[in-house]
Amino acid sequence: MKNPGWQRWVALIAFALVLSFTGFFAVRTVRRAIYWHYHQDEPIRPWMSLGYVAHSYSVPPWVLHKALGLPIRSDRRPIREIAREQNRSVEEVIAILQDAIVHVRPPYPPPGPPPPPDNEPTRGRSP
Amino acid sequence: MNLTDQVLAALFVYGLPVLFGAILICSLGIPFPISLLLVVAGSLVEQGEMKLWQVIAVASFAAILGDQIAYGLARWAGRRLVNRIGRKIGAEKKIKQAENFTKRWGGSGVFVSRWLVTALGPWVNLASGIAAYSWRRFLFWDVLGEVLWVALYVSIGYAFSNRVQAVRDILGNLTWVILGVIATVILGWQLFLRTQPAAKEG
Repeated sequence: MKNPGWQRWVALIAFALVLSFTGFFAVRTVRRAIYWHYHQDEPIRPWMSLGYVAHSYSVPPWVLHKALGLPIRSDRRPIREIAREQNRSVEEVIAILQDAIVHVRPPYPPPGPPPPPDNEPTRGRSP
Repeated sequence: MNLTDQVLAALFVYGLPVLFGAILICSLGIPFPISLLLVVAGSLVEQGEMKLWQVIAVASFAAILGDQIAYGLARWAGRRLVNRIGRKIGAEKKIKQAENFTKRWGGSGVFVSRWLVTALGPWVNLASGIAAYSWRRFLFWDVLGEVLWVALYVSIGYAFSNRVQAVRDILGNLTWVILGVIATVILGWQLFLRTQPAAKEG
């Protein structure tokens, strides 16, 4: 029987390593996909704007503005900025938003029509 | 908030200039999860906060400009340095071999590193410049790859506009799976070819 030689062994080891690498990431991808399938709501992060949070959680933006005592108009500022302005911690603001979101979703009644907008001109999707 | 979060927050407030700056810096080799920024930009397009053509034009232009600057610097300064070192250590032949390899595989390398293996992009820019890979070909593959990359990630952000973190998480892992499958097929084929003569002897 012919000696396969060191080059073939190197190729075999490299193949095994690449196969393991691929398998590892394939399993990880499937696990992450399953995780996100069962976690429809993304965690609220400090970089998000209220508009994005409302869009992500499928709730009217004015509900979040109202929960934080902000005027009902488009506000692109990230949560971190809002927290700083209101002298609150980011965690506190996120908790207020989560509480507001919970209370406009079933089993709670829907939030109803939006209140009249403020006098200042609006931008974006906010009512 | 970490740097990624700060740039994402700035994207919400300032929009296109942040997108341009972040992509330009990233193309020059500073590691940054730029794919997430493009996915978020796609989400903002879907929400009506940004315009699709503006996002694609600005992001593509920034990426191409950054690549061209890196290539130009590498070709102008890096080439001289490599030649000088090569002469000192007598490695002119090896440098020539590396150049030939780049000329043969450079196009596909530039293209793939633009949109699939983006982490390698800055290194391919430098290698292409140092190996004096044809600028016209580099520009051609660069434009093609970068526009594809921007369009792909912005489209994904648009399609999954309310789930940018999930998309980014899954895409990050999926990229490695695709690369792993490509490498497995190539190595498997090499192994198969190596076993052929032995099989014939048997």
